[in-house]
Amino acid sequence: MEYLLALLVYLSNPWIKGLVGGIGLALAIAGSIVLLLWVERKFIGRLQHRYGPNRVGKFGILQLVVDGIKLLTKEDIIPDAADKTVFKLAPIIAFAIAFLPFLAIPFSETMIVSDLNVGILFILAVSSMAVVPTIMAGWSPNNKYNLLGGMRAAALMISYEVPMGLAIIGVVMLTDSMSMVEIVKAQEKIWFIFPQALGFVVFVVAAFMEAARLPFDLPEAESEIVQGWTTEFSGMKFAMLLFAEYIHSILASLLIVILFLGGWHGPILPAPIWVLIKTFIVMLILMWMRATVPRVRIDQLLNVGWKVLIPLAMINIAFTGTARVILG
Amino acid sequence: METIAFGVISFIILLASIGMVASKNMVHSALSLAVAFIGIAALFISLEAEFLAMIQVLIYAGAVVVLMLFAVMLTKRDRESSR
Repeated sequence: MEYLLALLVYLSNPWIKGLVGGIGLALAIAGSIVLLLWVERKFIGRLQHRYGPNRVGKFGILQLVVDGIKLLTKEDIIPDAADKTVFKLAPIIAFAIAFLPFLAIPFSETMIVSDLNVGILFILAVSSMAVVPTIMAGWSPNNKYNLLGGMRAAALMISYEVPMGLAIIGVVMLTDSMSMVEIVKAQEKIWFIFPQALGFVVFVVAAFMEAARLPFDLPEAESEIVQGWTTEFSGMKFAMLLFAEYIHSILASLLIVILFLGGWHGPILPAPIWVLIKTFIVMLILMWMRATVPRVRIDQLLNVGWKVLIPLAMINIAFTGTARVILG
Repeated sequence: METIAFGVISFIILLASIGMVASKNMVHSALSLAVAFIGIAALFISLEAEFLAMIQVLIYAGAVVVLMLFAVMLTKRDRESSR
């Protein structure tokens, strides 16, 4: 007991807590990526009337390990005309920035690395930085397909970030706080998906854009621009960019759960389990979308972002404000 | 502690700013500017002005640098100097 207490005091030191929490989160995310990628390939295979991976291990569950070894042992090619420094830095920065927002995500009332007063702003700010390595990867190899992919990624980011922020304002107005823990606590009686239905729709579309998956996977549209902004990257560099993209999808689903689907609230099971279950369901819907919907064109996407989502988010803010004044 | 943090952060900001001015490549300048902006956000955090720091990252480092890279990407690239 004394040891446990000493351990708790030790852990309450912000430096120690940040280090332990950060390493723990990174390991947990890396593990969940391996699992989720297998689930995705199996699930999409089933949706498309195929088996999916089924050769390595039981149900093909070791397929990802084999793929990882393959990527690790591949030759690491750097194009001759590339800007070498930026080319080498891009995957590293993309990987590092992708992990950062998870520091402010609460898995239960106390299971959060840092409960910032400006938690939701922190997540928005850090995920807005994620486009910089994308543009670096698009520009540095001196390849037109990379450049097109990078341009599209920047256009995509500009059109989803504004409606996403505006949709979050509705939630913040209902909570009176930007702390992630407070936002989930305010959903104890009713999940924000009901009073914020319009904001939920806007946020889900924007979050799917952030995940850059099939209806919105313009930055790496493989049937149009080869492999988009990752074209010239090979071996482990490509794997890091791919993982960074995947972590963005996980973050998008987590944000939908935390902001609108009641976070850790739920009966019987302990709090973190509920967050994981809900996130997994949202991830499954993301995968389902990927197998169902065709890709949109870039002009259609910009139209949806600027002419539909932003006005809807504005209406949501006006509606929420009016309702708060009338209902007190 | 705060003095050490201030020293390290301002050293990084100074290096990034000098890199921004001295670099001949426009994209390198823009990226150094992003580093400088993030360093300034870190300074705000060490002054316990978290809101200001987040807004600094969101507006300057996020939006302005992205717009800048957007413009720079469309300018002609000098193949010889990049080797």
